[in-house]
Amino acid sequence: MNIPSVIIKSTILATCIFWLFTISKGFQIDMLLLVFLSIIPISLCCTFTILLTIAPFFWFQGKEASDRSYNRNKVVFNKYYPFYTIAIFSLCLYGAIKFSFANSFFISVFFTTMQSWVWFAKSNQ
Amino acid sequence: MKNISLLIGAFLFSILFYKQDIGLNLSLFSLLTIIILIIHNKNLFKKKSTIIFSIVFVITAISIFFYRSNLTIITYVVTFLTLIGNVSEQGSSIYVNWLNGFYTLIAAFFHRNLNTIEKDEKAIPKKKTDYLHLIKIIGIPLITVIIFIGLYKNGNPMFSELISKIDFSFINIQWLLVSVLGYYLLSNISKPVRVAPATTYDLNTGNSLNIKGNIAEEKLKKENQLGFILISLLNILIIFFIITDITYLISTNDLRASAFSNQVHNGINTLIASIIIAIIIILYFFRGNLNFYKDNKNLKTVTYAWIILNLMLIINIAIKDCQYIYYFGFTYKRIGVLIYLLLTMIGLFTTSIKVKQIKNFWYLFRVNTLTAFTILIVSSTINWDNYITYYNLNYAQSMDFNYLLKLSDNNTFLLKNYADRNDLTEEKKSLIEKKHKAYLIELKSEKWQEMKYDYFKIKKDQ
Repeated sequence: MNIPSVIIKSTILATCIFWLFTISKGFQIDMLLLVFLSIIPISLCCTFTILLTIAPFFWFQGKEASDRSYNRNKVVFNKYYPFYTIAIFSLCLYGAIKFSFANSFFISVFFTTMQSWVWFAKSNQ
Repeated sequence: MKNISLLIGAFLFSILFYKQDIGLNLSLFSLLTIIILIIHNKNLFKKKSTIIFSIVFVITAISIFFYRSNLTIITYVVTFLTLIGNVSEQGSSIYVNWLNGFYTLIAAFFHRNLNTIEKDEKAIPKKKTDYLHLIKIIGIPLITVIIFIGLYKNGNPMFSELISKIDFSFINIQWLLVSVLGYYLLSNISKPVRVAPATTYDLNTGNSLNIKGNIAEEKLKKENQLGFILISLLNILIIFFIITDITYLISTNDLRASAFSNQVHNGINTLIASIIIAIIIILYFFRGNLNFYKDNKNLKTVTYAWIILNLMLIINIAIKDCQYIYYFGFTYKRIGVLIYLLLTMIGLFTTSIKVKQIKNFWYLFRVNTLTAFTILIVSSTINWDNYITYYNLNYAQSMDFNYLLKLSDNNTFLLKNYADRNDLTEEKKSLIEKKHKAYLIELKSEKWQEMKYDYFKIKKDQ
């Protein structure tokens, strides 16, 4: 399982989504520096989220599921992903309603975690 | 063709919902949803259940157009999830439909992304796209150019002026994002997916109980005795409760609203506790082999008696609530009590069927959620604010006028008519007039996407 690769891809995706939604409210060229600086906290968020909430499913459950690694990942994905999705969507929706100024953050969290699961499940094909 | 339908759908989604309130757009969206579902799942729409759920979905959408309220919006969402869930797996229970519907709505795109890889790979061995190279040849030059623009901008005022003149305001990014959201939603629902563990478990679980292992006579005899004594004592207790309650009801002349309110609410609390405990106890004793024990007749008899006594308790509270309504008019809470009582009666009835026909817990859960869903749909097709206002103004012995004013705008025209035809105090008339004017302004300022049926009423009057 290539965790660094998933973290890098997730960071790029999260940064893109976050800034796409942020600049939709207005964009100035001076914001560019912030875009680059934001990669640091975003990558930290991605690393912690992936290591703490996604990777453990594959680490702890994967071995029991099947022999072939791809099938194993797929079994784990089909078993846990739906419930993870529903939980993360509910949390993000709550966050977006409660802290409306941080909508972009919660939207990027949702889509990045969703895609990270797919990358994880696809790895070791 | 299928992808074009999604693109057109996304475009329409943006037109319907970008910076718009709820109204006609939700009704039109329901038609769009059904069209997309039919295009992508033609064969599934031959089954009766899918057709029925589609019709129900359209009915709730029309209800929103006629009288928008929180109840109609909630029902709309629930029927939407039910329809999507039904398309994903037609044989599953309604609560699994909700789960599948919700999962499809939020993440089907990603689910399919993984689950179709294998199939696609087997069909056509595709040339692998080098995404990293693609990102390099687009991203690196773009970022570098932007950085240099930022640098040169500070170094040359003329260049800075030229750059600042570039105006991208004609591109409405928010509108595009809403379109992308629309595409994502429609793409998700176009091919519904399943929550595999829950759906498989549901499909493999029947409604009937079967004998588990060997019947241990001695153990079952003890359990049967315990159940019989416990439920018999509870029967005696509930009989005393009902007798004292009826005596109080007959003897009291207190017609104050607070006294009625106390009685109904205390009764409801007792009822909630009583019914929940009753069903838990019945489910506990009739969870396994006791159902097949040959001497369980007495236990079954006291169980039926207990169910009947609980039904009497329900009728007693229903009478109190009806008296309350007769004297002080309708409110949402009083209607809610009646609906709760109806649900409870059905719940007890299905529990007695469970005992008689040896059904399992899932049977109860399936039948009762379906009943609750049906009642939700029926109640969403009623303009409650209008009915409450009509009844309270014309039939209630006394009523809270401020309560009627605080209800949604669905009763505004009725209140206005009443104020025009009856001799009300100046204060009441001015309050109604204020509500009416505010509503007219709201209706006139709405765009076509937010339009409601009431808009046509004012057009007709003008």
